[in-house]
Amino acid sequence: MKIPFSWLKEHTPIEKAPEVVADDLVRLGHEVESIDMPRAGVKGVRVGLIVEMKPHPDADKLKLLKIDLGDVEHLSIVCGASNMKAGDKVPVATVGTSLPNGLKIKKGKIRGEVSFGMCCSEAELGLAEDADGLLILPQDAPVGEEVGEYLELEEAVLDLDITPNRGDCMSLRGIARDLAADYALPLIEPGDEVVTIDDSVAAPKVTVSAPDDCPLYTACKIEGVNVSASPDWLQARLIAAGLRPINGVVDVINYTMLDLGQPMHAFDADTLVGNIEVRTANEGETFTSLEGKEVSLHAEDLVIADSQNVIALAGIMGSEPTGVTNTTTNIILESAAFRPARISITRRTCGLVSDSSMRFERGVDPAMIAVAMDQVAQMITGLFGGKVSATTTVGDAEHLIQDTQIKVSMRKIEARLGVDVPESADAVLERMGFGIEHQGDNLLFSVPSHRPDVRLAEDISEEYARVIGFDAIPTELPSLATISPNQPDTAIIDAVRLGFVQVINYAFISADEQRLFVADDGKDLVLANPISEAMSVMRRSAFPGLLNTAKYNMNRQQNGVALVEQGRLYDGSMSQRQETNILAWLMAGEFQGDSWYEKARKADFFDLKGAVEAWLSSKGLTARFIADDEVQGLQAGQTAKIVVGKTEVGYIGKVDSDIASSFDLDSDVFVASIDLDQLHAGKKAKFQPLPEFPSIERDLVFLFDKDVTSESVLQTVKKACGSQLVQAHIFDLYDGKGVPEDKVSLGIRFVLQDAKRTLTQEDSDQAMQAVVDAIAHQFNAELRG
Amino acid sequence: MSEIDSLKAQLQALQDKALELFAEAADLQALQDLRVNYLGKKGKLTSVLKGVGKLPPEDRPVIGQFVNATKSVLAEALDKAESVLATKAREMRIEAERIDVTLSGRKCAQGALHPVQQGLNEMTAIFTQMGFETAQGPEIEDEFHNFDALNIPQEHPARAMHDTFFFNAEGEDEALLLRTHTSPVQIRAMQACVDAGGEPPLAVVAAGRVYRCDYDVTHSPMFHQVEVFKVDKDVSLANLKGVLQHFLSAYFEKDVPIRLRPHYFPFTEPSAEVDIGCVFCNHKGCRICKGSGWIEVLGSGMIHPNVLKAVGIDGTVYSGFAFGLGVERLVMLKHGIPDLRLFFENDVRFLRRMGA
Ligand SMILES: [Zn+2]
Repeated sequence: MKIPFSWLKEHTPIEKAPEVVADDLVRLGHEVESIDMPRAGVKGVRVGLIVEMKPHPDADKLKLLKIDLGDVEHLSIVCGASNMKAGDKVPVATVGTSLPNGLKIKKGKIRGEVSFGMCCSEAELGLAEDADGLLILPQDAPVGEEVGEYLELEEAVLDLDITPNRGDCMSLRGIARDLAADYALPLIEPGDEVVTIDDSVAAPKVTVSAPDDCPLYTACKIEGVNVSASPDWLQARLIAAGLRPINGVVDVINYTMLDLGQPMHAFDADTLVGNIEVRTANEGETFTSLEGKEVSLHAEDLVIADSQNVIALAGIMGSEPTGVTNTTTNIILESAAFRPARISITRRTCGLVSDSSMRFERGVDPAMIAVAMDQVAQMITGLFGGKVSATTTVGDAEHLIQDTQIKVSMRKIEARLGVDVPESADAVLERMGFGIEHQGDNLLFSVPSHRPDVRLAEDISEEYARVIGFDAIPTELPSLATISPNQPDTAIIDAVRLGFVQVINYAFISADEQRLFVADDGKDLVLANPISEAMSVMRRSAFPGLLNTAKYNMNRQQNGVALVEQGRLYDGSMSQRQETNILAWLMAGEFQGDSWYEKARKADFFDLKGAVEAWLSSKGLTARFIADDEVQGLQAGQTAKIVVGKTEVGYIGKVDSDIASSFDLDSDVFVASIDLDQLHAGKKAKFQPLPEFPSIERDLVFLFDKDVTSESVLQTVKKACGSQLVQAHIFDLYDGKGVPEDKVSLGIRFVLQDAKRTLTQEDSDQAMQAVVDAIAHQFNAELRG
Repeated sequence: MSEIDSLKAQLQALQDKALELFAEAADLQALQDLRVNYLGKKGKLTSVLKGVGKLPPEDRPVIGQFVNATKSVLAEALDKAESVLATKAREMRIEAERIDVTLSGRKCAQGALHPVQQGLNEMTAIFTQMGFETAQGPEIEDEFHNFDALNIPQEHPARAMHDTFFFNAEGEDEALLLRTHTSPVQIRAMQACVDAGGEPPLAVVAAGRVYRCDYDVTHSPMFHQVEVFKVDKDVSLANLKGVLQHFLSAYFEKDVPIRLRPHYFPFTEPSAEVDIGCVFCNHKGCRICKGSGWIEVLGSGMIHPNVLKAVGIDGTVYSGFAFGLGVERLVMLKHGIPDLRLFFENDVRFLRRMGA
């Protein structure tokens, strides 16, 4: 809502500067987006009288003007416009002036004739988007005066963001009311002039068949109007307030809407057939908006109709054929109340929005229905002539504008605010139109018709908070019982400690990306109104996002990435949807760059597996990794399920190389994903006494068949060694020269220890022999020389 | 020359030769060899002593003294030479082991926590330390929890202010959507309390992802919010101010001035937008705060009675405050990050810098 400052002052005699008023509005709950001086750039443009006009000797379309600016000498100006004549007064930009469009006026020579300035159009002054010819100023404009001052152009315009509950502030009067109350200034009441009713004009006949949605409808007819453009001052105000001038009648209606908050509508009476009916639409009935858009209506939409057509969507927009044009002579004015929720729904389902609907949706003060009607009728007849009929009224205006009484406990209000309300607050609220009566602790609060948002004790507490100011509310920490806070989730911190960079990707991906890792089983959750196809499906795998992030970074001079993401996956049907918390990793490219101590190495399966194992171990968990060739999008032979206890919690593997290439990734890419919801806290670390007796370390190297798994070998040796085995691990793996093609040499290192005594050489020999026997029996493998 | 003089001369020559050899010894091993050679059981000094038997008995102690004196001279000389050599050897080893200490250390793999995650962790920690319990809720929500229960009925203009992502819902009874704020967790937490037969007090902090159908330089379709609320007997607006002041000062690690401005949210009454003194210009007014000295950081208010009613809490007995804050916005302010899009581009150079 744009508030031209001079207009505001017509409603209440504010003397403060716009900046101060802006701060006060913020305190009262009206956000000030900006304070603009939209036409501050017209300084140097003055009222000039054309004293002489001659054709340019060398150019048909140019004129040579002599301009009187009240200075000693007349100014010579070459002008290309044609709508002026000698004796007209026009805005003249003198040399050195900068116009709002950025044009800087310089002395110039046009086809041999010197020009000392420029005569301006409305567009050049920033008063209109485009213009046809010069702006001709009224004859009484004082020669030499700054045009900006004369047209009141150089004024502040406050741009306010009115909250949806304050429909009453979608008008100059509404804003002025809040300010006047705060400043203890009078609010100037509109409508003291009386419209002369001409009985020769028949009042329109109206029926309302949907009184719930339209509790009050008034209409009058004006005959013999000579519609022309509205006067400059009115147009200038509309433009300053952000509206475009259209024609005299529409401009007066819009002006009044801004002024008083009541949206009205005017029909060309001669385009209507029969009487006016306010009714709900017939299903499928169509309506062509002023903007030429055809919409199909629903049965509950509220319309204004004549006996044949829908002539307006109530409170939103009139129809194109029944609108007032410059050729209209007889008009019907509508001023009515519509139920806000009704307007809101129709506005949304029809996709039409207007200044009118914005106000009706938020609630319009029914007390302005008659006042606005009078103001519009008066202005139209005053400006464009015509005779006004009596006003037809359907509905109970008296009832509609009655105050609403609320009885509340003052103690409750003060408890809610945490402060004692000072008596001075009552006076401010009374100036805002509220009625206040204290009876002991009880507060009888009467709410005027322009504040339908105030209905509950809590609403009243807000009004008090507003007028005493939030700064006056003390700052008090509540007593907070320190209950045992939940254990913080360290999943991502643990992963980051292992050298991974956390990324956050969008939860939606493209359907194509989804299909890379998840088969189409009808369980995708698809957005109805996505930003784009690429962000249209809720992800069921974190890998597409991670691959995109890897691609983004590898394209930006990274030789390798190690990423981790914590987030959710989403699947299921709408009724059985599921959100799964996961942690997902991606490693690709160089694990570490070249350095003085080491050559770069590309990440492989075991780098990522090691990280996943270390992460699990930080949770007190160990996992088994079971080869799985059937994971979609991951390469057979380099992919495993991750199993903790008996639960499959995720998987790890190499991304299919075709998929990786489709993300421009040439290196091998490894990913892993763990379902956090499936993980249960592992064992808490428990103290064990440190061993008293020394341990013995032994190595054995065997030649195995190539397809052996280290897991099975280690299981076998553990069983063979019994309780003295502290640890056994593969310390060497070799299948190069000297090892037969179908074999692999595995070196196993054992650590043996006994809690009760020092082990002897014989003890360890015995254990090693047991291992050799078991390996021979289980794998048919022999010790390697 | 008498036998004794001859022996004395022999010993003297031996000593002179030995001292000469000791001085020439190249390393500790050579010295050790010399020690054996001269002072050992079969050493030269011992062999000289073998000649003592030929001496008359009265001369024997004299020569014995002389031999002992020679022995101690040699031993002392050996010790000294050894020590010199040992020092030299140690110096040579140290010199040989000299390294370029300015070479880079061996790299440990270093990760980085996403700045939004850091913000979430810091904020959540402040509230849990104040005694708020953490809670979570689904991101795919229904209209009841996201709107209706929060006093945003179907036709409410505020509903349109939330650019909501909806799901294709053919044949479904109710429309599903991506939650537009974390406030539905407020509803779910209160419902859970009531359903379990419990009663306030309730003090909850809920962090998570939220979604708005809006994508440009200053809007991301997915972002993070932290929702905080407390319901108890006699919770007041003053309490809300207290918690806000404590939180914002703790998060920004300094005493930031705060300002509450009356505003409108359907789910709170009274409602207030909360500004902090601009952290860029210390509240003096700059380009970022548009000269006002204030920067808007979050929306807050006293929970609307209709919200309490929707979850079955008696609004005549209990009251509460609630607020929701945009995590990205606060992180941007705290760290001077100029562009929201940086958070979701996931450039590891940015993430490493911010996460270090
Ligand atoms: Zn600033």
